[in-house]
Amino acid sequence: MSIELASKGEGRILYLVIALLLLHLTLISIQVEDPSGTLLFKKCVLLAASPMLNGASNAARAFSHFWTGYLWLHGARAENARLKEDVRQLVLLNSSLAQAEEENSRLQRLLAFGVSFPYQTLGARVIGRTPNFLSSTLYLDRGSLDGVRADQPVVSDAGVVGRTVLVTSNNCQVQLITNADASVGVMVERTRVPGVVRGTENLLLDLNYIGNTEEVNVGDALVTSGLDGIFPKGLPVGKVVDSQKGKTGFRTIRVEPSADIIRIEEVLVLLGPPKPVTDPLTPGAVK
Amino acid sequence: MKYLFLAGSSLLAITAQMIVGTHFFLFNFVDLSLILITYWAFYRSRTQALFVGSLTGILQDAVLGWPLGYNGFGKTLAAFVIAEASRRFDVEGGWVRFVLMAASSCLSSLSMFALFLLLQRSSSSIFLGASLLQALITAGVGVLLFAALDTYNRVHTKRVG
Repeated sequence: MSIELASKGEGRILYLVIALLLLHLTLISIQVEDPSGTLLFKKCVLLAASPMLNGASNAARAFSHFWTGYLWLHGARAENARLKEDVRQLVLLNSSLAQAEEENSRLQRLLAFGVSFPYQTLGARVIGRTPNFLSSTLYLDRGSLDGVRADQPVVSDAGVVGRTVLVTSNNCQVQLITNADASVGVMVERTRVPGVVRGTENLLLDLNYIGNTEEVNVGDALVTSGLDGIFPKGLPVGKVVDSQKGKTGFRTIRVEPSADIIRIEEVLVLLGPPKPVTDPLTPGAVK
Repeated sequence: MKYLFLAGSSLLAITAQMIVGTHFFLFNFVDLSLILITYWAFYRSRTQALFVGSLTGILQDAVLGWPLGYNGFGKTLAAFVIAEASRRFDVEGGWVRFVLMAASSCLSSLSMFALFLLLQRSSSSIFLGASLLQALITAGVGVLLFAALDTYNRVHTKRVG
């Protein structure tokens, strides 16, 4: 019993000593400044408090992160889905606008071409083509109700595309110049040598009936001669990409079409004879 | 009442140290507060000895114009050592008391010196030398005083008996 009491007393004294020593150290720190002029007490308090401050700060940050990262985002999935939908729609809209702008540009070029060309023209949109990479037939959104007839020339702003072959009330079929059955009367623009261009079911055309003696060079432009009774004279047809003398007395000439046959989307159908042109000097008169 | 007496005795020790030390230079080498602490540890309560150590230390700091706590720290440490020694060992012998008091005084001075160094307060080796001298003188005076007290107590006890 006495040992127990003694041990209790000893422990109490130890605590008391520690407490008193700490008291004195605290007293010193309240009065003594470090070289920077800061009271040691403040420094000690800060030193002692910093782990707690850091802990509290970390806890607050963790809670904030948990709150904003999980609880606050309970509706994020729905919002994310909505935003994705918005983005998809905007992408479509953007794509649509880009296409519209491109189409506008193409139509402007086509319109300019039509205006400059002395023929009655009808703008048409390509609505279909035969399911073949080297498509040789197109379908347009114009038909007999629009004034389209068979065997009317179809052109783009770059040149000859083909001719109408089959016409319904609202649509028509166009035989491209690349079609093996298609032929166009042409002439070499530079030398005015006439010939006939034929389709080959290939991207390149054959220029026939040009004698070996004629001078046709690579790069020479071909235009319609107007002799086939379908295409008016002077429409661009293509450029010579290969020209060699043949064994049969005629040159073997390969021609690249001027019109972009593969990517064409809008065309002009030449409806009829040249538009009547009013003489500005004599109003009402037709030339 | 007990603690009031404790505080009064502490104050008296410091005041006496000041007054006597002013007139007799050598008396400055007698650490009355340490003798008081030892008295309390030997003859009264060890716990109270600790309070006496703290209080006299603080009062000494106040008198010296030092930041409060230097002497308090040292004296508390000394009080603890003396109190523990008196509990564990037989401290009736004069030499034992001398050694114990001198050692405690040195410990007190060393702890203050260490605090000086830690807190970058200017100190000199003279302090250590003076402290050693003070420890020896204080221990000597203390041993004599306690011997006189013991004698007085014995005589007084006999008379009462």
